[in-house]
Amino acid sequence: MKTCIVRKGLPRIDAIPKVSGEAQYTVDLKMPGLLVGKILRSPHAHARIKSIDTSAAKALDGVLAVITAEDVPENLFAFYQWQADKHILCTDRVRYVGDEVAAVAAMDDDTAEAALDLIKVEYEALPVILDIDEAMKPGAQLIHEGKESNSTWSVDRLFGDPDKALAECDYVVEGTYVTHQLAHCCLEVSNCIAKWDKRDKLTIWTNAQAPHTQRQEVARVLGIPRRNVRIINSTMGGGFGSKLVMDMKLPIASVLSRLTGRPVRIVNTRSEEFTTAKTRYPYTLHLKTGATKDGKILVRDLTLIGDNGAYHDKGPATINFSSMMFGTLYNVPNIRFHGELVYTNKAMGTAFRGFGNPQVTFATESQIDELAEKMGMDPLELRRRNVNHPDETAACGAEVCGCAMSECMELAAKEIGWEEKRGKGAPLRGVGLANMVHTGGGGRFYGFNSAEAIIKLSDEGTVTLITSALDMGQGAHTAMAQIAAEELGVRLEDINVLSHDTELTPYDLGSWGSRATFMNGNAVLAAAEDARQSLVEAAAEMLEADPADILVEESKVWVKGSHEKHDLSEVVDHTVNEHGEPISGIGRFVDHLPEGYTIPTAFAKNIPCFSFGTQAVEVEVDPETGQVNVLRVVAAHETGTTINQTMAEGQLEGSMAQGIGFALMERLVHDDEGRIVNDRFLDYKIPNIGDVPEMKAYCVESVGTRGPFGAKGIGEPGLVPTAPAIANAIYDAIGVRLHEVPMTREQIIKALKEKRASET
Amino acid sequence: MKRELHIRVNGDEYHLLVETHRTLLEVIRDEIGLTGTKNGCGQGECGACTVLLDGEPVNSCLVLAHEAEGHDVLTIEGLGSGDTLHPVQRAFVETGAIQCGYCTPGMVLTAKALLDHNPTPTRAEILEGLKGNLCRCTGYVKIVEAVEAASCLLEGGEIE
Amino acid sequence: MKAFDYVRPSTLEEACAVLADPAGSAKALAGGTDVLVQMRAAGLRPSVVVSLKDVPGLNFIHADDDGGVTIGAVTPLGAVEHSAVIKERCPAVAQAAAWVGSVQVRNRATIGGNLCNAAPSADTAPILIALGAEAVITDGREERVVLLEEFFTGPGQTVLGRGELLRAVRVPPAPARSFATYLKTFRSAMDCCTVGVGLCATFEEGSAAIKDVRLALGAVAPTPMRARATEALLAGRELDETTIAAASAKAVEEAQPIDDIRASAAYREVLVEVMSRRVLTAACAWAQNGGRG
Repeated sequence: MKTCIVRKGLPRIDAIPKVSGEAQYTVDLKMPGLLVGKILRSPHAHARIKSIDTSAAKALDGVLAVITAEDVPENLFAFYQWQADKHILCTDRVRYVGDEVAAVAAMDDDTAEAALDLIKVEYEALPVILDIDEAMKPGAQLIHEGKESNSTWSVDRLFGDPDKALAECDYVVEGTYVTHQLAHCCLEVSNCIAKWDKRDKLTIWTNAQAPHTQRQEVARVLGIPRRNVRIINSTMGGGFGSKLVMDMKLPIASVLSRLTGRPVRIVNTRSEEFTTAKTRYPYTLHLKTGATKDGKILVRDLTLIGDNGAYHDKGPATINFSSMMFGTLYNVPNIRFHGELVYTNKAMGTAFRGFGNPQVTFATESQIDELAEKMGMDPLELRRRNVNHPDETAACGAEVCGCAMSECMELAAKEIGWEEKRGKGAPLRGVGLANMVHTGGGGRFYGFNSAEAIIKLSDEGTVTLITSALDMGQGAHTAMAQIAAEELGVRLEDINVLSHDTELTPYDLGSWGSRATFMNGNAVLAAAEDARQSLVEAAAEMLEADPADILVEESKVWVKGSHEKHDLSEVVDHTVNEHGEPISGIGRFVDHLPEGYTIPTAFAKNIPCFSFGTQAVEVEVDPETGQVNVLRVVAAHETGTTINQTMAEGQLEGSMAQGIGFALMERLVHDDEGRIVNDRFLDYKIPNIGDVPEMKAYCVESVGTRGPFGAKGIGEPGLVPTAPAIANAIYDAIGVRLHEVPMTREQIIKALKEKRASET
Repeated sequence: MKRELHIRVNGDEYHLLVETHRTLLEVIRDEIGLTGTKNGCGQGECGACTVLLDGEPVNSCLVLAHEAEGHDVLTIEGLGSGDTLHPVQRAFVETGAIQCGYCTPGMVLTAKALLDHNPTPTRAEILEGLKGNLCRCTGYVKIVEAVEAASCLLEGGEIE
Repeated sequence: MKAFDYVRPSTLEEACAVLADPAGSAKALAGGTDVLVQMRAAGLRPSVVVSLKDVPGLNFIHADDDGGVTIGAVTPLGAVEHSAVIKERCPAVAQAAAWVGSVQVRNRATIGGNLCNAAPSADTAPILIALGAEAVITDGREERVVLLEEFFTGPGQTVLGRGELLRAVRVPPAPARSFATYLKTFRSAMDCCTVGVGLCATFEEGSAAIKDVRLALGAVAPTPMRARATEALLAGRELDETTIAAASAKAVEEAQPIDDIRASAAYREVLVEVMSRRVLTAACAWAQNGGRG
């Protein structure tokens, strides 16, 4: 494919504002009359609220409003309304440390803080449940009164006949794998400004990954018409899933604004971000994999318990997505999946890059190596015998079109030096590898998956692109601009992207599921095609040529065969100022459920395109301290067509670093009372520049997807296989198999000790 | 309690009346209005608030404003001149070392100070020099490349 | 952060006078990298913050005539890290300073602050204790000197009385044929130590026999501690594998670690053994190599 702009590693369109400090994030906004809002949060993980006395806080000079549950709408909220279980402010019960109890609006920070100190809340402690096993015991303290049990949702999936298949297998391995709560750690914390104006319109400035659905959520929980709510985004300092579903600070700031008649800002402290900005869902996974002696995986059986935390959010969606990826990888013919969500008195889970897939892939790809070990087969060879193929439909229904799994795997294995190193490397060094599959274009989980975009050309030929693609830092705006520029034949610098305001942009589901490039990109491409058609017609008219002979490239227009190139601005100026016919385009991409299916029955058919990839790592382990030193990570991931080489590599490199964090470093730790004890970067370690190894990202192009120019999303895949690849490499290095992430120094020492004990 | 503060930020003299418990970060962002300096953690652990105090990188969230009395502060807005980017900024743009950008101002200033002291750092020196600046987006690969490219630019070379 | 009075005295005497004021809870402020964090997050609420910024004679590194080094209390750790004098006379101190936080932190954090904060995990403490460093304490009029190993009295607690300041740290000259090093383990490339071990071993001429030894442990007790029983075991012994193993096991016996977010007590014991063994093995190799690298 010949391209001018797409496929180039061009600098991001927002790089200069960001590098010069000009980019405005929500925390940077100033506004006349702005008040400081702060939230009083529960110090208890589980307690009854006996009384709240706000009188002293209200009496404090500079305090303009103090609110409790009595002052806010009584509506219950959850991402899925059918699971609604959370009030804006707690009524009679708190369910995790950090639960919202009251809020204040004051003239300044110090006053707001002083007011919080003056609110007296009397609690009666209730038993705290932090553990899913504890929560599921018969007669366990109910976290939500009136529910039958703390087990709050479950799903079962069956494909083929797993029991029959298990009986036919020559080898079966079984194991339990555990993951924990992780924090997204966006450098910009969750924050907002709410302004409820005199016309009863509510405008919220916030860092949202899905402003249109959050607008609906705010309206729903406040019980006001959606048309009265507007959400405005600024430059976003990271998302990673944490900013998909509305945070309660949005309705809280809104109510404070309505009461005071002034805009109210609420900004998390870093500690609040760690303790209340939601987490990756921890999974406990009981997994069985069975294969024939020639290495064909016949069956996988997984029971997965997800720790929901205290309230509902994206749990069912996360577990469902986990099951789809579980079913799709290696196209295993017999699949049994049981997933369950259990309430605990911890912060609630939410979407987090990879959406349940890193947890499941840690189990499945660790177990492939265990199976290979049992069979006496090279784990790479076992994987070779089970790869997914292009244009196959998996037993679970997944329609795999473009698929470069083999290419990715062979490339990663070669680059890490698999043949020379596996099982025979230097002492205490090891290599490991893991595969993955992920969506490359979101999903039809709302019953549809769609996007729209609008393009208009100025009378000088510059282009305004209105897209709902949300740029939380991943570079979606640049990708959209490249797609538009390529199709229109204009220079990248001539494109101005507008994407910040729900009043301006078309309805959209937001940036999640690696969907922006695929979905929004297709819409932008369609809008550009539409505008290009008008542009070509206008040029044909001006140049007195056949539209079919008009060429547009790099903002130059000419007639095929002619050497006279015209500036695009001439054509646009001509059509606008001579004819009064400005050029614009609108594009829409709607990806409906397949005919005859509903959301649940479509299952893996909800995924419009799959993206495969492999990571291979080399590690060195200090067996005395348990220190794992990751020496190298090689990632080979499918991109379809790479829209921007530099940015795609950046997505993979950033994901790998998060994958290393997931594998080795990151976990929110609770004390017995349910308080998170590592609520700061000092003790919640994310990789710093000295912690990341040499990382090499390969973007493997493949054909067969419906993405714009054949592109797939690459936002999430890069952290999915990192942890199992590291676990497999640790095994290769020191012969111990860890079933829990993070694989800490202490766990490694413990495992080595157990290994030594079992050998003597 | 308020107290007079004399401080030079990006070459401009400011005479302010500032409460004694305000940090340099708060004064830069809220009083002076330069919001390029970011608040990431408030505990000196992420480096997003890095500014150069008399040319040396510090976490402005851990410096009381009055402790900077009489000193020179350089923020990201003061780097480069007019519409020309400083070579470190240019290198960050051209190598793709920026994603969400929230860590970028601090990262760039720390890198600038590193290169001021050590114009041709080794990879190990770059890692040591920048480990106080957290980035959750990039995985740091292109940040290391950016510092190497900036070193090259500052030594009169060009980015490959 | 809660409001406070802020004074910026221009003499030591003045500073100590404010700190001595019995009415208030005054807090001395040097680099601020610990104090400000505690004031923001950990409930430290001083009524007066006493800035040491304008007090002369606290920020210096002095090459003493006897071959030792005196370091002013508000000398930034970055200056300690890069000091030619320190690198020459007690390089392990420069190494320990370089391991504290980030460049940004070391540009502000001072050696006195690192010690007065009295964290059990303070990186500069074990090596300074092992080197026999002294704390020079002043009340603004008179000075007293205590061994650094006696300076700490508990987590966040020191022997400093009301109205007293740490003025300087004095590192005595290194004895002939002595080997000193500091080793720490950490969870990431920027971390406070999980366990820190400082060692200063002096050998008999031409052998690996220990003449004198000090072994100090960080993050395994309420204060940075000297492992005296281990030292006693080592005294006069030839360093070899057996002795080193016995000494490392003794160090584990002596340590009193607790469980915290950074490590369990059991794991810290593992680390004390490994790291004591490693520093002693390095010392042994150095001695056997005739006192070279």
